[in-house]
Amino acid sequence: MPQPPARNGPPGAFFDSDFSTIDSLLAVSLLYGLQGKGDCRVAIVNTSRPNLALVGFVDMVLRFYHGPAGNFSQIPAVGMITSGTPGEISPAFTVPFQKTKADGSPTYKNQVKSVIDTGDPCTLLRNYLEAQTDKGSFVVLAGPATNLAAALAFRGLKELIAAKVKLLTLAGGAFPEGPAESHLKADIPAAKRLFAEWPTPIVVSGAEVGSALEFPGASIDKQFAEAVPDNPVADAYRAWKPMPYDTPSWAMAPALYAARPKENYFKLSDPGRITVDDQGRTSFSASENGAHRYLIVDPALKDKITAAYVELASAKPEVRRFRGPVVQDDTPPPVKK
Amino acid sequence: MITRKALPRRTFLRGLGTAAVGLPFLDAMAPAFASSTMADPPVRMAFFYLPNGMIMDAWNPTYNEGKLTELPRTLKALDPYKDDILHLGNLTHNTGRALLDGAGDHGRCSGSYLTGIQVKKSVVDIRAGVSFDQIVANEIGGKTRFPSLELGMDDARQAGDCDSGYSCAYTNNLAWRSETQPLPPTLNPRALFERLFGSGQLMTPAEHARQNKYRRSILDFVTDDTHKLEGSLGPTDRRKLDEYLSAIREVERQIQRAESDNKQIDPQMDKPYGVPADFAEHFKLMSNMIAIAFQADLTRIVTFLVTHEGTSRPYRELGIPDGHHPLTHHRSQPELMEKVRKINEYHMQQFAGFVEKMKTAKEGDRSLLDNSMIVYGAGLSDGNAHLHEDLPTLMVGRGGNYFKTGRRLLVRRETPMCNLFLTMMDRMGVHVEHFGDATGRLNGLDLG
Repeated sequence: MPQPPARNGPPGAFFDSDFSTIDSLLAVSLLYGLQGKGDCRVAIVNTSRPNLALVGFVDMVLRFYHGPAGNFSQIPAVGMITSGTPGEISPAFTVPFQKTKADGSPTYKNQVKSVIDTGDPCTLLRNYLEAQTDKGSFVVLAGPATNLAAALAFRGLKELIAAKVKLLTLAGGAFPEGPAESHLKADIPAAKRLFAEWPTPIVVSGAEVGSALEFPGASIDKQFAEAVPDNPVADAYRAWKPMPYDTPSWAMAPALYAARPKENYFKLSDPGRITVDDQGRTSFSASENGAHRYLIVDPALKDKITAAYVELASAKPEVRRFRGPVVQDDTPPPVKK
Repeated sequence: MITRKALPRRTFLRGLGTAAVGLPFLDAMAPAFASSTMADPPVRMAFFYLPNGMIMDAWNPTYNEGKLTELPRTLKALDPYKDDILHLGNLTHNTGRALLDGAGDHGRCSGSYLTGIQVKKSVVDIRAGVSFDQIVANEIGGKTRFPSLELGMDDARQAGDCDSGYSCAYTNNLAWRSETQPLPPTLNPRALFERLFGSGQLMTPAEHARQNKYRRSILDFVTDDTHKLEGSLGPTDRRKLDEYLSAIREVERQIQRAESDNKQIDPQMDKPYGVPADFAEHFKLMSNMIAIAFQADLTRIVTFLVTHEGTSRPYRELGIPDGHHPLTHHRSQPELMEKVRKINEYHMQQFAGFVEKMKTAKEGDRSLLDNSMIVYGAGLSDGNAHLHEDLPTLMVGRGGNYFKTGRRLLVRRETPMCNLFLTMMDRMGVHVEHFGDATGRLNGLDLG
């Protein structure tokens, strides 16, 4: 007797970034907004920069959205690579910690004191993917491909990705052609490996997509402030550079597409194959069975996309408790008399 | 040129019947002028598994890393031995988590604890994996009389549903010989004693009564061998042998007392003949025999399932008539949490008695504890929330002068518990490339 289909919950969202752009943080807010709408559930956030100050801020943002830990609902560690250089840290990740409440106590608390408060990105990816149903998750990359390339070499993880991940979306490259883009250029061997070996379909959001869809900075003091008075992402936005300013949505676009692929926010290229050259430039060659596509902006949908960005990223945190994925239902259907 | 024939390490005192009493490591077993390396005693490992998690605010120190100074409340009983402890934090058993299998954290966490496997959720189709103690036993078990010993103190049912669709085989065993074959623990001290020193067959009460009429101790059977050996030993070895045999005799007396108590207290009690009704007494007997078995190199591998996951054992001796497991679902109610803290402390107090035994037993210029890796731990941290990360884990002993003890060591969050097991396998001389969900060896444990 064929088994009834599994009762799948919303897909697990895995986000990986170096947080070199402020919209990477907005993408985290966007994913939590999508979680609030039942379109995904945020599993883990990995960083590809060995910078504890940065990870401390991201960890605090996750706690802000997650709410207090509860039964079966712990706040996952932020994954942090330990090799490479920490790089300069933007004031956006430190200034909010100076904010105080009316009684003088800190508004936000940094709970990452050392590397032991972080997790290994590959171990986290492995552990949290094991809790996903088959093809029940997506990965969004908005940074160098370092962690994901390492995952491909991690014992058993490539097979697990193939089983559990439906789609990888990433912010990188330029399409149909353009100069080398900073994310892929930051780790060219990793980018080459990712496009050559990643075992699921990949949809790429080139630099031209994020540049064409600017996130409206005015929403920080309006929708964000109306939803929650103290929002660390809004405070980081204000500290990133002098207000007011709009920002390209390089990381938000692939996150939005991954969680709502059927919403037709974007057009898709024909299938094909993307490769990365030694200078970090991407090139696309169409092929009927290709596993790669790239996003194309439809100017007519810009307002719709921007409205979705604002609505989702500014949404008040909604605590949703997940005890891992929904249990696969293996009970037989009721017998009809 | 001075020569001396060393006493073989695996010498037994033998006597009438089938009695065979192993010997502790004696100076006479080291060849004259042997280098310290040649004379190095073997490394032993044991697991003391405690169920239902801990109250973590009384388990973890308030400081993160470094020298163990003030011990947290649950560990207070170990204060005299804190220099022998490595207090590990953040180790995780991902395979104990629900993943796709829903409820049943108790069944999963004990099933996966030493196997590193996500066990199959089933009451009849049992699937775990070979536990790492058995991987070690398969490699080095032939060097000792018993490749490994599996002990417990609680219910040893092997069938039925013990947690939300998980077989009792998962909750009531720690050691697994194969993915379908657990090694049930020995619960009865008499059975263990007979196995270690006698025929290995458990006698009926009537047979015991008949035997006791004619002898006082199993040591009486080996008197001739004992006298012969004593005559060939130096004063230090003679003292060591005397202490060792006294310890065996004391265990035997305790068992006899338990057997006598069983008859006097309650003939209908829910305990097999010879199993003490008192938790502390039972623990002491079992753990004393672990120390003796290690001392005599009868085995190098022990798993001790103190009580099993989900146990509802009450602790009336502490004034706690409530079941342990229900109490751990305290929903943060202070009075219930306090009762669990008391149970956690009580377990640790019993364990401290074992540590003392191991510490006072000498092997060459070290203690038996120095040559051992004793893991005291649980498969859940917060039993109320059923958490599988930051598992309570103590490494007691130096594993053959390897571990840098006396400190708190936190590893990165989500670090697999199996990483520790790989390191322990190395110390046991068994080198495997991979185990369970390990991502590598656990670094930073050694003196280097």
